[in-house]
Amino acid sequence: MVNGYLPASLQQALEIRAKEKVIPYGGGTDLMLAADEKAVYLFLNKILEIKTITIDESYIRIGAACTFTQILESPLIPSILKAAIQVIAAPGIRNVGTGGGNICNASPKADSALIFFVTQAKLRLGSSKGERIIPIREFYLGRNKTVLAGDELLLEILMPQDGLNNYYYQKVGVRNALAIARVSFAALLDVQEGRIKHCSTAFGAISDVIICREDIDAMLIDKTLAEASALKAKYLTSYDKAINPIRGRVSAEYRKKVCLNLLGDFLASNGI
Amino acid sequence: MENTPIEFNLNGSQVASDAKANERLLDVLRGEFGLAGVKCGCKEGECGACSVILDGLLVNSCMVAVGSIQGSSVVTIEGYRQTERFNVLDRAYASVSAIQCGFCIPGMVLASECLLAKNAQPSKEQIRQGISGNLCRCTGYNAIVEAIDIAAREGKGLW
Amino acid sequence: MEAISKSVVKNDHTLKMNGQALYVDDHHIDGMLCGKLFRSVKPKARIINVKLPELPQEYYVVDKNDVGGKNQVHIVQDDTPVFAGETVEYIGEPILMLVGPCLHEVERLLGEIEVIYQEQVPVLDMEESDTVFFQFGFKKGDIDKALQEADHIFSQTYETGYQEHAYLETQGIIAIVRDGRLTVRGSMQCPYYVHNAVVTATGYDKDQVQIIPDVTGGAFGGKEAFPSILACQVAVAAVKTGKPVKVVFERQEDMEFTSKRHPSRCHYTVAVKNGRIIGMDIDVKYNSGAYTTLSLVVLQRGIICASGVYDIPNLRVRGRALKANTVPNGAYRGFGGPQTFFAVECLMNNIARQLGENQLVFKEKHLVKQGDGTSTGGKYHWPVPLPAMIARADQLSGYRAKKEQYKNQTGRYRKGIGISIVFHGCGFTGTGERDIIKAVVKLKKNADDMVEVLSSITDMGQGIKTTLGKIVADVLGLPLGQVLVVTPDTDIVPDSGPTVASRSLMMVGYLLMKAAERLKAQWQSGVEQVVEERYKEPDFIIPFNADSFQGDAYPTYSWAVSVIELEVDTLTAAHKVINAWGIFDVGVPIDLNIVHSQMQGGFLQGIGYSSMEQISTNEKGRFRNTSYIDYSIPTAVDVPNLFTDFINNPYPYGPYGAKGAGELPVVGVAPAYLEALEQALGNVSLNKVPFTMEDIMTVLNEVS
Repeated sequence: MVNGYLPASLQQALEIRAKEKVIPYGGGTDLMLAADEKAVYLFLNKILEIKTITIDESYIRIGAACTFTQILESPLIPSILKAAIQVIAAPGIRNVGTGGGNICNASPKADSALIFFVTQAKLRLGSSKGERIIPIREFYLGRNKTVLAGDELLLEILMPQDGLNNYYYQKVGVRNALAIARVSFAALLDVQEGRIKHCSTAFGAISDVIICREDIDAMLIDKTLAEASALKAKYLTSYDKAINPIRGRVSAEYRKKVCLNLLGDFLASNGI
Repeated sequence: MENTPIEFNLNGSQVASDAKANERLLDVLRGEFGLAGVKCGCKEGECGACSVILDGLLVNSCMVAVGSIQGSSVVTIEGYRQTERFNVLDRAYASVSAIQCGFCIPGMVLASECLLAKNAQPSKEQIRQGISGNLCRCTGYNAIVEAIDIAAREGKGLW
Repeated sequence: MEAISKSVVKNDHTLKMNGQALYVDDHHIDGMLCGKLFRSVKPKARIINVKLPELPQEYYVVDKNDVGGKNQVHIVQDDTPVFAGETVEYIGEPILMLVGPCLHEVERLLGEIEVIYQEQVPVLDMEESDTVFFQFGFKKGDIDKALQEADHIFSQTYETGYQEHAYLETQGIIAIVRDGRLTVRGSMQCPYYVHNAVVTATGYDKDQVQIIPDVTGGAFGGKEAFPSILACQVAVAAVKTGKPVKVVFERQEDMEFTSKRHPSRCHYTVAVKNGRIIGMDIDVKYNSGAYTTLSLVVLQRGIICASGVYDIPNLRVRGRALKANTVPNGAYRGFGGPQTFFAVECLMNNIARQLGENQLVFKEKHLVKQGDGTSTGGKYHWPVPLPAMIARADQLSGYRAKKEQYKNQTGRYRKGIGISIVFHGCGFTGTGERDIIKAVVKLKKNADDMVEVLSSITDMGQGIKTTLGKIVADVLGLPLGQVLVVTPDTDIVPDSGPTVASRSLMMVGYLLMKAAERLKAQWQSGVEQVVEERYKEPDFIIPFNADSFQGDAYPTYSWAVSVIELEVDTLTAAHKVINAWGIFDVGVPIDLNIVHSQMQGGFLQGIGYSSMEQISTNEKGRFRNTSYIDYSIPTAVDVPNLFTDFINNPYPYGPYGAKGAGELPVVGVAPAYLEALEQALGNVSLNKVPFTMEDIMTVLNEVS
């Protein structure tokens, strides 16, 4: 074929990636919008090594070329991720779209990336020279910009296994399917023996990148629910200052109000 | 670089495309293979008129680069209409006059097949989820949902 | 249920179901060239120079200099050019077409064209327009006296936005010149409109031009006049090159540059005395865009509907269609009615609210009845079944009870319910049928006793091919398979008028019924027979005078009661329809499945119009929402089952009692939606559609 490579193995893919100027193609649902006629694609959709979902002692390991449908149908995947993937586009897109493509496209509206942010997932990047693992929160430089090197591919997403049961997720779009997020919010709260062991929030679609403020969330760590309630006003005020949405298809004011509303609801629904 | 053909199974036959790997499957099916039943509504993956079945799954053929389907199997309405399952859907759609302008229909029929293949007794809500990527501007979806529901009940054991 | 209403399998079901129906883009002709339009990037400018790249062999530029006849596209008036003349009047106005064998190369060459413009100051806001394309007005009684005598005067302004048809099949035309004849085929509603326009533009004789409507993938008014423009452009290209030429729009091109529903602003001043409305002073403004196209007729219908279904003894109605340097607006299902019905229905709710009265009861106090005069001094000659329809709507939806139940809600999710009462005037406004259209139909019985139905009515999905066939078959006592509704090829069918204004079944179906009755009486088996029938205006009609704007604007009316129940998420401003009901009087449904489906489809378009369908413009007047990504129409998971029901009310001059149906379902949805929102948001007063999530959030902020 011309303008494309369809490697059968990961090693082959990495060799081509190192040698040729190619665009990694997971499911194509972002790339084929422009359908650049000069593009030379490196098709990753048939490389079984990056299409598996497994679990080890620490992580749920999701191959970057797993489709959204695969992820939805896997019993190993936590509910919080399924909640977000279920509302991506429509079945036809979910059948070919991949988590890897969603992450590497580097849109702040990426539905699955929001969940990987809030769960503090890690990314395994590989090249013909070796591999590295970095937190997803360090992967983005800005809108449509990542630290992925020209010879690298995203191989796998490593999600922590624990503390994901008590989650809050809301996507706000103009309609219930085929909708790009105008605001998206995900949050985790892990309460053990009356104390908040972990609190994590992430805001998507409101800025150039997904917004996570570990420093503000840290305010609630190790607090009882009563203590957290006392801090609620300060917590919300901190986010009020921290969230500065940009105008897109909806106004910044709308986005901000929705973010703070959802954040407040997340707390309230947990007794804070 | 020499352009080796892209080989795949199309409606039950092995074929080879001379297209460049980055071309839309939609354009290859309509152009090179003359399959007019695969409709073009938007080229943005937003309407589902171009839906085909790729390796058993519903996809928007406008969003698929043909190089990615080497070795895969593709079914369009031209192939699907030979099946008994199609006949059941045909009678069901006819019984409630679910077709108006018809432009969404080839994609909608294939979406019907894929959702029934996954779940042979879907609820109305699940039917709507299954066709959520297929836009229809004429019908308001009621009759289409009704038709798929009828097909699920009438097509005993087929799905 | 009448016997005729029993549903049959549609006669175009099979080819569409199995993917064999051929739409314009499915046709390929040897030697065909592809064309693409080069469009203005300025909203208002004089064209100083057009610099063309060197064209390879077989690639041509087609522009105003190639127009063999007049550089005019006849759409009511003649101001729309085939290709831009000396000025351009909106971003997107076609300046020329580039054609050639390879579309890719055509696109590349288009990118190399340079135009030098002398920019002029555009008018982008209709409120700042200095050009009134059309102005109409009419009076009833003495409004100034009524305003003096009033004990309350209410004033309100209402706005409606654009709506894009978003038909699944984009615009497309093919033109072929062969042996001195010009054949133009494609996606269209009105082959004789196209015929007329192409004859004028090319200078060909009437019988040298043939128009063939292809299977058309949705239209909703968007293919009423627009195809005439594209057809002229493609025809001129085919004549110049001597080759077949095909132009099919890309989705973004179609959304950005084809006609839309007229945005409106309506101002009402209302006199109330003793709890009753005694007068309305109404000012209607429609945004016409850059050329007149159908604005004259859209405006007329809009102002006729401006006082709604209410008996208002004193009226002053003024309407203006204003020019702006934006895409010319045109026909969309409802054709001016949805805009003014939105205003008057919301207005009634608002006045009731301010008077402390129950909204529906207040409306019911003013409903017209059979025998009452219309707003334009005509008469409601036929029964007006509104009380029965409202009762049925309430029975199905529980509107009255829920209206009480949903008062004073708290909590994250809040519900509301709304009801609207509207009509759609059936057929062409005024004396159009008698003086302009003069419809003709033919039945041709072949020697084998197959009967061909020859009319110019096109099936764009609404099922008219089936229902017209059904009528003829039923009258003749033949099986459906023995009646063939032929494609409305202008070489074969007479001019029965356009497929618009909800006239096809009522007017043309009636003529075919009459023709079939005559054929039946003269039937001779084994012999070829032709029966022709021509429109004759019924005697009861009070003729409409277009200058005084008085008389029967329409022979009869179809009626609709719409109820919407919705829920708002106060945290996100997301709003969803939980239930929707429509009760319709279309005379007698000629096929229940077909008419139910038409009602449901129109209803959903109305829901989109109220909420998620929004077109905003940037500071240059360019639309921001120009693809299915940005212009959101409802998917199957955005709406629950739409419940539709009919009340029979036979009209003696419609076939089997049928009246117009196609446009009716969309007319009343927006005000019902808005009333439901007003309740959900805390009994506020709203005055525009689309009412988006942002708008809802603004209200929620204000209320809290």
